[in-house]
Amino acid sequence: MTIHATSAGLTADATPAGLTADATPAGLRLVDVNLAATVEQASVGSDPYRIDADGVPYVPVGDGGIVLGVRLGDGVWEHPGDHAAPGACLVHQDPAAGYALAAQACIGNPVTVRTGAAAGRAGTVVGKRGEGGRVIAVFPQDTLRLLRPGDQLAVRGRGAGAADPVPGVTIRNIDPALLAVLPVTLGPETLTVGVRTRLPSKLVGNGIGRPTPMWDLDLQLTPASARRYDAAGLRLGDLVAITDLDARFNAGYRRGWVTIGLVGHGGSPQPGHGPGVTAILTGPAGSLRATPDPSGHQGLSEEAALDAVRDLL
Amino acid sequence: MQVTSNAGQLVTQVLAGEVWPPLGDRHGFRVDPDGNAFLLPGMGGVTLGAHCGDPATGYAADHLEPGLSVRHRDPAANYALQYLTCVGNTVVVTTGPAAGSEGFVIGQHAYVLVDLPEPTLRSVTVGDQVTVFAVGQGLALFDHPAIKVKNCSPRLLAALAGGTGPDGRLRVHVAARVPAEAIGAGAGMASEYANTDLMGAYEVGGEELSLGLQSLRIGDVVALADTDHRYGRGYREGWLSIGVISTGSGRLFGHGPGPSTIMSGPAEAFTIIDDAGANLAVLAAVLPQKEHA
Repeated sequence: MTIHATSAGLTADATPAGLTADATPAGLRLVDVNLAATVEQASVGSDPYRIDADGVPYVPVGDGGIVLGVRLGDGVWEHPGDHAAPGACLVHQDPAAGYALAAQACIGNPVTVRTGAAAGRAGTVVGKRGEGGRVIAVFPQDTLRLLRPGDQLAVRGRGAGAADPVPGVTIRNIDPALLAVLPVTLGPETLTVGVRTRLPSKLVGNGIGRPTPMWDLDLQLTPASARRYDAAGLRLGDLVAITDLDARFNAGYRRGWVTIGLVGHGGSPQPGHGPGVTAILTGPAGSLRATPDPSGHQGLSEEAALDAVRDLL
Repeated sequence: MQVTSNAGQLVTQVLAGEVWPPLGDRHGFRVDPDGNAFLLPGMGGVTLGAHCGDPATGYAADHLEPGLSVRHRDPAANYALQYLTCVGNTVVVTTGPAAGSEGFVIGQHAYVLVDLPEPTLRSVTVGDQVTVFAVGQGLALFDHPAIKVKNCSPRLLAALAGGTGPDGRLRVHVAARVPAEAIGAGAGMASEYANTDLMGAYEVGGEELSLGLQSLRIGDVVALADTDHRYGRGYREGWLSIGVISTGSGRLFGHGPGPSTIMSGPAEAFTIIDDAGANLAVLAAVLPQKEHA
């Protein structure tokens, strides 16, 4: 079986076997899983410096752990930092359990604090980070101030295995219920998504060739280059479209495809790194349509993210 | 390459390495571009039948590492081995039936990759020890300060075609020009470690995956458009990196044949000359020439 994705749209002959290998038939019930996670402590090596794209050393600030003062809706270059994410990064000390945490937690999932000064309080998963398997969660600011690295949390994982929202479009890393609060319009055969901007796949750096359920995609953008791509106003929580990228399994180049990602962390001075998106939707451009709005786009707000766990707050 | 450099001032470090086994996990299979499972050889150990000048693709293999794949058991000593070893360095097999045989480094891929003549390669196996005469990091071109040279042995520099042109630019012969869209796994990593996988040269899948790179050969010198690899591997419009194809066939999506970086700088510092003969095979002509003391 073959599938033909062209700029004119999608034509497929019957059901392409290769493309349904990981698709969940509609009607199957998702299962929820309770996952254990620990609030990360930011860590560095014995050398305090990293080297930026111009060869200048810098001390990385905000790369993992608990970061105060960075919130959904902030500009991705608003705070000096390296991969700074809003809220806290959650990990598991056992590597295999960490990969499972990253793979099975989804954007929109509730997080409850079980130990420490913030015990009993709640937050929401808003993204992932790659390599070791990290989950990014936002919390109300007064909760975040009480969190401490090492605090134990429970993540209610839900969303992995979700059925295609429309034929040929794969959903990843997000609880399907959360699509309702994002600028996503479901048609009978197409999904239309409002995004900040549309970016070419060549801008994807770290994360390319890696499994998208466990790794985000860094956008190789700087404040200087962002203007060329209508990305100067890029904010945490924004949706962006990446053209010619298939993110169903590993992320890789596929002409005529589109991947929608949700911005989960800020910029980075490191070459090949930058603001990171967690892939949430991917499919042929004929079925998955992106409508950019560089100045007016509204992605995932902190309020909407925390509304998803309002009953637990 | 006709160019003045500090090659005569470089020091050589003698490094120990070990032919490292292919590694797997209990689930075995990995996933190709269309979601199909595969289980293929190519990475780690001793891989026969693929040498400089041979096609890079067309094998039933994944992450094809030609020849020997070499590491060190101690993590920090291994980083030194991976970072300090340069393309073109001499490698001597020090244990096993092939002890005393000499080959050369064709690149890095989280392993140091070593090409040996095929009859010699047949008698090397996992666990055999090798000695690498590492020289090249710190190499600088006096007349091209904007170009950062890395992972390039003085012997390779001398053997490459081209050199300083009458306009002051560095003339570099390349077998292929690689578009920025092809840059796959390896982006964002240190450019002294592993290599840049190129997408769009798979043995499977449809035309929509192709980026026209199926004719690459192992050892080809290539130009990577819009990349700045001076301090890591990143996208940068108007910059250029030169690499040497050190790995072949890749079935894993987002992966593929990959160049080890040997130079990087602003595009205007280079004159790129298309030349199908631009391949590490030129080293064969200078192999008897020792570059270490």
